Amino acid sequence: MSGYLTGVLVVLAFNVMAAYAVYLPMAAGQLNLGIAGFMAIGAYASAFLTNEYGWSMWTAIPLGSGLAGLMGIIIGIPVLRTHGIYLAMATFALGQVISAVFLNLEVVGGAAGYPVSDYASPQVVWAAAAGVVVLMLYISRTRFALCLTAVKSDATVADLLGVSVRGMQVAAFALGAAVAGFGGGLYAHHYNFVEAQHFNVLLSVFTVLYVLFGGTQTVWGPLVGAAFFTLVPELLRASDQWRYAVFAAFIILFMAVRPQGLVTTSLMTLFRRRRVTP
Amino acid sequence: MSAALSISGLSKSFAGVRAIRDLSFEVPKGRTTALIGPNGAGKTTVFNMVSGVYGVDAGRITVNGTDVTHMPSRRRISTGVARSFQNIRLMSHLSVLENLLVGQHVRASSLAALLTPYRLIPNHRWKREARAALAESGLEAYADETVGALPYGVRKRIDLVRATLAGASVLMLDEPAAGLNPSETNALRDHLRALAAKGVTLLVVEHDMHFVDSICENVVVLNFGEKIAEGPLSVVRRDPKVREAYIGTDGED
Amino acid sequence: MLAQQIVNGLMLGAIYMLVAVAFTLAIGVLNFLNFSLPGLFMVGGMVSFGMMKLGWPWFLAFAVALLAAALISLLVERLAYRRMQGGDPEVPLVSSLGFLVLLENLVLIQYGSDQQAFPALLPDMNFRIGGLVIGMAQVLSLAVSLALVFWLSRFLKATNAGRRIRTVAESRETALLMGIDISRLVPQLFVASALLAAFAGILFAVNYQQVSPFMGEGVGFKGVAAMIVGGMGSIWGAVLGGLLIGLAEVLSISFIGADMVNITVYGLLLLILIVRPQGLLGRPASREKL
Repeated sequence: MSGYLTGVLVVLAFNVMAAYAVYLPMAAGQLNLGIAGFMAIGAYASAFLTNEYGWSMWTAIPLGSGLAGLMGIIIGIPVLRTHGIYLAMATFALGQVISAVFLNLEVVGGAAGYPVSDYASPQVVWAAAAGVVVLMLYISRTRFALCLTAVKSDATVADLLGVSVRGMQVAAFALGAAVAGFGGGLYAHHYNFVEAQHFNVLLSVFTVLYVLFGGTQTVWGPLVGAAFFTLVPELLRASDQWRYAVFAAFIILFMAVRPQGLVTTSLMTLFRRRRVTP
Repeated sequence: MSAALSISGLSKSFAGVRAIRDLSFEVPKGRTTALIGPNGAGKTTVFNMVSGVYGVDAGRITVNGTDVTHMPSRRRISTGVARSFQNIRLMSHLSVLENLLVGQHVRASSLAALLTPYRLIPNHRWKREARAALAESGLEAYADETVGALPYGVRKRIDLVRATLAGASVLMLDEPAAGLNPSETNALRDHLRALAAKGVTLLVVEHDMHFVDSICENVVVLNFGEKIAEGPLSVVRRDPKVREAYIGTDGED
Repeated sequence: MLAQQIVNGLMLGAIYMLVAVAFTLAIGVLNFLNFSLPGLFMVGGMVSFGMMKLGWPWFLAFAVALLAAALISLLVERLAYRRMQGGDPEVPLVSSLGFLVLLENLVLIQYGSDQQAFPALLPDMNFRIGGLVIGMAQVLSLAVSLALVFWLSRFLKATNAGRRIRTVAESRETALLMGIDISRLVPQLFVASALLAAFAGILFAVNYQQVSPFMGEGVGFKGVAAMIVGGMGSIWGAVLGGLLIGLAEVLSISFIGADMVNITVYGLLLLILIVRPQGLLGRPASREKL
C-alpha cells in the first residue's frame, strides 16, 4: 500500500471515530459542537501518561478516553440543563475553552505543541476505528439506543414512561466524549505530536457536518458521511484550491435536496428487502 | 385500601389564576371512572398533576396507597399509574413497535436490560409481547410503520396500547374517543372493557357522554377547577349545578 | 491605562454588537442560528477591499459589498432555511455553516489566504481627552453602530412592519391567523440581518485596516457569544452582550495575555448558559403544554 493511501485511510479512521463521537449524543438530540475539546483531553492526557510516567499507550489511551468520558459526565451534568441551540452553544463554548486551556498549559508544551514518545501504527488505528464501529453497531441494537431516540423524539413523554431522561442524556454525552477522547489519544500517538490548535472549532464543526450529511437516522450514516468527507476531497485534489469550495457547495445543495442525510431508515429497509428477495 | 387513585385537597394556580381548587375524589380499584366537565374545567390539569408534569400547590395524591405528591414524574409510572395524551404524543422518530417497546421501559430499565441487544435476537420476548398487544387491538399490520403517516384513529389506539404496555394498574386516558369514527369508537369501547375486565382501573376524561355512559360506573364533574358533582352519570346529569355548567355546550344531551 | 482599555473594549464591542444583533434577528424571529452571517461579515470587508483595489470610490465599494451580502443571504434563505422547515433543527445550521466554508474558500481563491491591508479612509486624527486617545474611526463606528441599533429598535416598536416582525417572533400561528405574509417577511429579515453583518464587516475593516478571508470566524463566533450572553432575541441584550464581550476580550488581552482570550470570553458564555440560559436580558422559555 502506498504511503499516500495509508495516510488517507488513517485520516479516514480518525474521522470515523470523531463521527461516532458526534453521533451518539446526536442520537439523543444533542448537537455537540465541542467534540474537539474532548479529543484534546484524550490526546493530552494519554500523551502525558506515556511521556511523563512511561506508560504504554495500550493503557494510556483507554485511560485518556476514560478521562474524557469522566469530563463529559462532570461537565455534562450542568451543561445538559440547557437544550437545543443553547446546548449547541454551550458545547461550542466548552470546546473553545478546553483547547484554550491546553494552549496555555506549559506542562504539555503550551502553544509550541507536545511531542509524544509512543507510536501507534496505522494498523492499530484501523483496528481501533473498526472496534468503535462494532461497538456502535452493538449499541444501536440495544434498548439504550431505543431510549436515546425516545428522549430525542419526545423527552417529556419518555420521562412519563419512566425513562431517565437526564441519565440517558448524560450517558450519551459522556460516551460520545469518551469516543472522542479515544480518537484523540490515538491521534496523539500516531502522529507523535499534539498541538492545541488542531482541536479547534472547525474540527468540531466539520465533524458535525459530515455526520449530518451521512444521516443520523441509522447507525451507518456517520460511517458513510466520514468516508465521503475524507475520500471525495482527495479525489478533487487535482483542482486543489477549488476543492473545499466545490465540496461546501455540494453539501449545501445536497442538504437542500435531502435534508435527512444520505443513509436513511427507508433506504436501509429497501436494501434489506432486496437482499431477502433477490 | 380500596382506592386505586386518591386525590385530596388538591390546588393549583397558574400565574395567579386558580386552575384547580381544593379538589378531592377517589377512583375505586378495578372500576372505570370518568372525569367530565366543560372545556377549561381543569381535567387535563388533574392528569398532569397526577403524572407529575405539574407540581401541586397544595394537597395530596396517592396511587395504590403510595403518596406520589412530590415524587419525580419519572418514578410515578412504577407506582402503577400510566396515561395517554390528548394530543397524541407518539415518538415520530420511532416505528410503532419501537414506541410500544418504550412503553415497556418501566419493566425493563435495569442496566442489563438496557444493554441487551434485543434487535439482534429474533423474536425477543419484548418484541413478542408488543406484537401480541398490537394484535389484540387488531393493529399488527402497522408494527413496522413509522408513526407519522398513520391515520389519526390508529395513532390514537397505539397511544393507548403504549400506555397499557407499562403494565400499569391505573390508566388515565385523556379523551380517548375524541376524533374517532363510530366503528373505531366501538373498538375502543371493547378494548377498554377488556382492560377493565382484567382488573385495570380506568380514569377517563371524555366529552362524549354516550361513550362515558357505556363504560363508566361513576363520574366526577369539574367546573372551574372545582368538583361540582360526583356519582353515577344518570344521577349526576340531573344535578342543577351540572346542567348550569353545561348550558350552551352540547354535553348535557 | 485601564480607562484606555475600556474605551478600546467598547469600540470592539460595537462591532460584536452589530453581529450579535444580526444573529438575534435571525434567531429571535426565525429560530435559525444562521452561521452564514460570519461569512457575510467577511464579504462586507473583503468585497469592499476588492472593489477599492479596482479603483472604485469607497461609497460605491461599500454599496457593492452590502448588495453582495444581501443577495447571498437570499440564497441562504432559499437553500439552507426554506427547504428545511419541519425537519431536524440541526440541518439548516449545518447548511449555513456550509455557506461560511464556501464563502471563505471562494474569497480565498480570489485574494489568497493572507491578511490584506485595508486603505485608511479617515484622516489619522485622534481625540485626546485627559490621558485617553480615541481614534476618529473608532468614534465614528461606535456612533454609527449605536445609531443603527437605536433605529432598529424604534423600527420594531413603532412601525407596522416592526409589529409584524414581533408577532412572527412571538408565535408563527398567531401571525398566520392575523394574515401576516410570512413568506414575504422571511426574505426581508434575511436581507436585514445580512446587511447588519456586512456593515459590521465594513466597520471592522475601516477601523482595524486589515481584512482576510477568515476575518468572520473569530468575530462571528464572538457575536454569537454576545447574543447569548445578552439574551437571544433581545436587541438590547445583543448590545449589552456585545459590549461585555468586547470588554472581556480587550481586558483579558492586556491584563492576562492574548492566549487567554478564548478562556475568558467563552468561559463567560459557558457560565451564563449554565447559570442563566436565557441570558442577561432574555425571558425564560415557558413550559410546554401537554
